[in-house]
Amino acid sequence: MKKCSLSMVLYELRNINGNLMPHFFGIVFPNLMCLLIAQTVGSEMTEEMRREAVTSIMLTMTLVIPMAIMLIGYGALYALEIEKGIPLRMRLYGFGEKCEVPAKIAAHFILMTAALLIFGGFQAVVMKVQKPSAFALICLVVSLYLIGGIFLVIAHALANILKKFSLTFGVVMCLYFCMMILTGMMGMRTEQLPMALQKVARALPMTYVSNDFIDFWQSGSYNFMPFVQSFIFMGAIAGILLFLSGIRDG
Amino acid sequence: MLVTIRQLEVKYGSQTALRIDTPVSFEKGERIGIIGSNGAGKSTLIKALLGLIPYRGRVITNLKPEQMAVHMQFNEYVTTMSVKYIMETILDTKIAKNKELQELISFFEFESCLPKRFNALSGGQKQKFTIIMVMFQKAELTFYDEVTSGLDFETRQRLTEKLSQWYRDKEDTLVVVSHYYEELEQLASKLLILDKGRVIAFGEKQRLFRKYCGKVVLIMENNDKNRALSRNFPTLKSPEHLIALSCEDEAQEWKAMKALAENNVNFKRSNSDIEIMFMNARERFYAQQKVSSER
Ligand SMILES: Nc1ncnc2c1ncn2[C@@H]1O[C@H](COP(=O)(O)OP(=O)(O)O)[C@@H](O)[C@H]1O
Ligand SMILES: [Mg+2]
Repeated sequence: MKKCSLSMVLYELRNINGNLMPHFFGIVFPNLMCLLIAQTVGSEMTEEMRREAVTSIMLTMTLVIPMAIMLIGYGALYALEIEKGIPLRMRLYGFGEKCEVPAKIAAHFILMTAALLIFGGFQAVVMKVQKPSAFALICLVVSLYLIGGIFLVIAHALANILKKFSLTFGVVMCLYFCMMILTGMMGMRTEQLPMALQKVARALPMTYVSNDFIDFWQSGSYNFMPFVQSFIFMGAIAGILLFLSGIRDG
Repeated sequence: MLVTIRQLEVKYGSQTALRIDTPVSFEKGERIGIIGSNGAGKSTLIKALLGLIPYRGRVITNLKPEQMAVHMQFNEYVTTMSVKYIMETILDTKIAKNKELQELISFFEFESCLPKRFNALSGGQKQKFTIIMVMFQKAELTFYDEVTSGLDFETRQRLTEKLSQWYRDKEDTLVVVSHYYEELEQLASKLLILDKGRVIAFGEKQRLFRKYCGKVVLIMENNDKNRALSRNFPTLKSPEHLIALSCEDEAQEWKAMKALAENNVNFKRSNSDIEIMFMNARERFYAQQKVSSER
């Protein structure tokens, strides 16, 4: 069996770029949403208040990037390939899962990085968000990559379990919208949700990024415990799904 | 000996898709044709040999999976980039720098297809794409599973001709699954006949013909006059619209040909008709099964 090589990563990058859906949902959409929502921020506000509001919107919208690229993008791409039997065909040419999957993962992280850089540049230059402290920025970036990684595992496991593009796409889209609502991305703050849903929302790391990161964006302290717990929870779910997909494959 | 199947059994649930009890061996350089109706277990045999499905039994071989190349019955690729990039990635080379690959591509007249995406290729072009990559692997053992199924008559013939031309002076060991007798005439020297998951016959093409059909068969149209005429001769099972006379030796052959000529009957003489051989092998296999089960 062949090893994962640079040419394989390039192949997977081409593979992602052959379909512009992740680019739309992961790059165009979050930037556009920031622009649109910022228009609704009251004009009677002081400049400082306006910038804080825009920053808060940015923190919420940046979460769309790992979700769109990893959960929807990877899930849809991989499920379609499984449905067509492409991984098997590649395996027969000597490119086993140990070669293809890491290349796919690398390519998706490259796309996510590009999306984050574009988003960051746009937010700094056009939206003029508040300048973060180094600590807050590092927290945000690390959180986004972790969230991306967890979603990638979930997407991979779901595609492997469901085996059909349409099913997988339906499920990941559903998850995507549910999580957008729960974590405040649809404009409803988490506190406004019914109690039961708030509990669910508090188990998802995105909720904390979306609602709390603004509190220590420039300075201040933050209790990271619930946030870390939410990562452990979502990581465990991803792990269980991956385990189940392994069982199903025998 | 490249591969010896001592014993092999594949089950899907409770259904036995394939059962081989008498040893089957593939030797280096052989061209083995596998023939059998839909669902006979042809693809199942290939998948078992490639280690893609679990089986019970014993297959003896020194080959590792990567020393085998396979054109599966269904081959799909991503449709997000031109087939050129797929080919270069899979074969780990650049077409522009690889003379050998260029030769293969031009042999199959595939140049104009390279910039296209896989879903934009015609049925025949899709098959060629996989064939080129399978050939380039230069594996110890190469499988072709129904390469020409689903293609129109002309494309099929051209592709078969290309394949047989390519392998003519080469030493590759091939296993070719096909429903088309002409294709096996051209590509195979040995035949493995499967039916409902059982091996009906395995051996040299000529030897099998000799065993099931005799020295020569004379084939003519199935009509009243010919039917009456054929009563005086041993006949074989044949396609509905034909009558096949079996001749065990030269004397019988002359006698039959004389009778046909005297009665002004058009006929075809053959000492290699795979279709008739296949039908009679199957007939005899089930007749023997019936006898042994009645005992
Ligand atoms: N994945 C599968 N699950 C259940 N049954 C299968 C599967 N693959 C093949 N079969 C059955 O096994 C038998 C042999 O199939 P196959 O080897 O594909 O036939 P063919 O000779 O046409 O290639 C058929 O009856 C088919 O229905
Ligand atoms: Mg088949």
